[in-house]
Amino acid sequence: MSDFLYPFLEGAEDDSDALLDDLIASARDKALISRDLRLATLERLDAQVRATAAAMASRLRDGGQVFAFGNGGSSTDAAGLVTLFTRPPSGPALPARSLVDDSAVLTALGNDVGFELVFSRQLIAHARPVDVAVGFSTSGNSEDLLVAFSQAKEKGLLTVGLAGYDGGDMGRAGLDHCLVVTSDSVHRIQETQAAVSAALWRAVRAELEGAPPVAATTGDENG
Amino acid sequence: MDGGARSPDNSESPAAAPPGPGSVEGGEAETALASAALTLARRFAAGATMWCIAPEWDEHARHVAVEFVHPVIVGTRALPAVSITAPDPVPALRAVVRPGDVILAVSTSGEASVAELWRRAPAWGATTVWVASGPAPADARVDHLVPVDDPDGSAPHDGRLVLRYHLLWELTHVCFEHPGLVRPPEPADDGEVCITCSDEGRLGEVLGATGGPDAQVRTACGVERIDVSLVGPVDRDQLVLVHAGTAISLVDA
Repeated sequence: MSDFLYPFLEGAEDDSDALLDDLIASARDKALISRDLRLATLERLDAQVRATAAAMASRLRDGGQVFAFGNGGSSTDAAGLVTLFTRPPSGPALPARSLVDDSAVLTALGNDVGFELVFSRQLIAHARPVDVAVGFSTSGNSEDLLVAFSQAKEKGLLTVGLAGYDGGDMGRAGLDHCLVVTSDSVHRIQETQAAVSAALWRAVRAELEGAPPVAATTGDENG
Repeated sequence: MDGGARSPDNSESPAAAPPGPGSVEGGEAETALASAALTLARRFAAGATMWCIAPEWDEHARHVAVEFVHPVIVGTRALPAVSITAPDPVPALRAVVRPGDVILAVSTSGEASVAELWRRAPAWGATTVWVASGPAPADARVDHLVPVDDPDGSAPHDGRLVLRYHLLWELTHVCFEHPGLVRPPEPADDGEVCITCSDEGRLGEVLGATGGPDAQVRTACGVERIDVSLVGPVDRDQLVLVHAGTAISLVDA
């Protein structure tokens, strides 16, 4: 069984206490780095988050809905944003849909027309000019997101990107709003993108207070 | 040790900003993560699959699984983790979990389907890890409880819950750099006797109802036929305490 491990090591080590101490220290260091990045990013992006939320709230007030998408771990961040909007821990639900949830649609599009079109084709089918496209990518370079944003812009949707590193191609794609978490650790970027998503949701909710959107006719998520 | 949950002073949102995003909890979570990571590495080394559920937020189950299966760091070993997003995780997991596997749940500490899972996991022979947000569970019958302080319900959404399983993944891979500590134990002298099965009073889950004195039950050691005449007729999925080939009592919630 050990051949898949590190066969070049002797493997004679048997004191797990020292390892556990190292693990605890490592976990604490990384938790602090994560917290610091989240706080610093929320502060740095404050004005941008408010501006993005105001634009999103305006679309929602006019009957629009949010389409969220991303690949891999970022697909789960997109789904997390949809959970916040549609099943919020408090307050009214807002219409949002994830474009990553239906494996039949994803595999049909990926197989028939190419993976880079899996989100743009869904926007063609579902989106209206009043809607909002929110894409998550840690690198900012995901081809399927760039194609989807291009399609969204063409249709007149509000385009919102959450990217990491220096924003990558998404930062240069002329999105209406691109919120960049400047870090080069995928995990720390994702944790901070979740915090930015939550801040965005709170700000949208604050914008809509007293002027909630009309009940959406197509945002009937039942999950 | 860090001094527990802190309240950051950045009230960046016009809505009430939760105390959440900035908090780093005290050493309890890190200590739990460290021992859970070592257990995970050992279980994976022995051939386990890790089954991931998050009944309240499917996306967290998917995120944990994709971390392990398709690591973000090139060259890191892919590990067999699977997300299960069925409406009721208990029958879904009952069908697939094998003795030696791991069940990892991400949920609030009050989630009923997860509590039911922890009641049954010992009969399936599964190692259990619970990333639980909110108040400390009253009766956490799990091997590893990783707590997430969450007074206002925002931790599942603002990155703090994700941080926990990201760290679990990172620490698990650190353990693999110490092969002597994750190597599966040598078989016992006489080979055949499962260590768990030598214990007194093991949990069993009835596989089929029976009117007679015998029933087939599933335990951590596999499927066995036991005498149920002491406890009377039993239904499928009933939990029983098994000792010396006999059901000595029913185990109810």
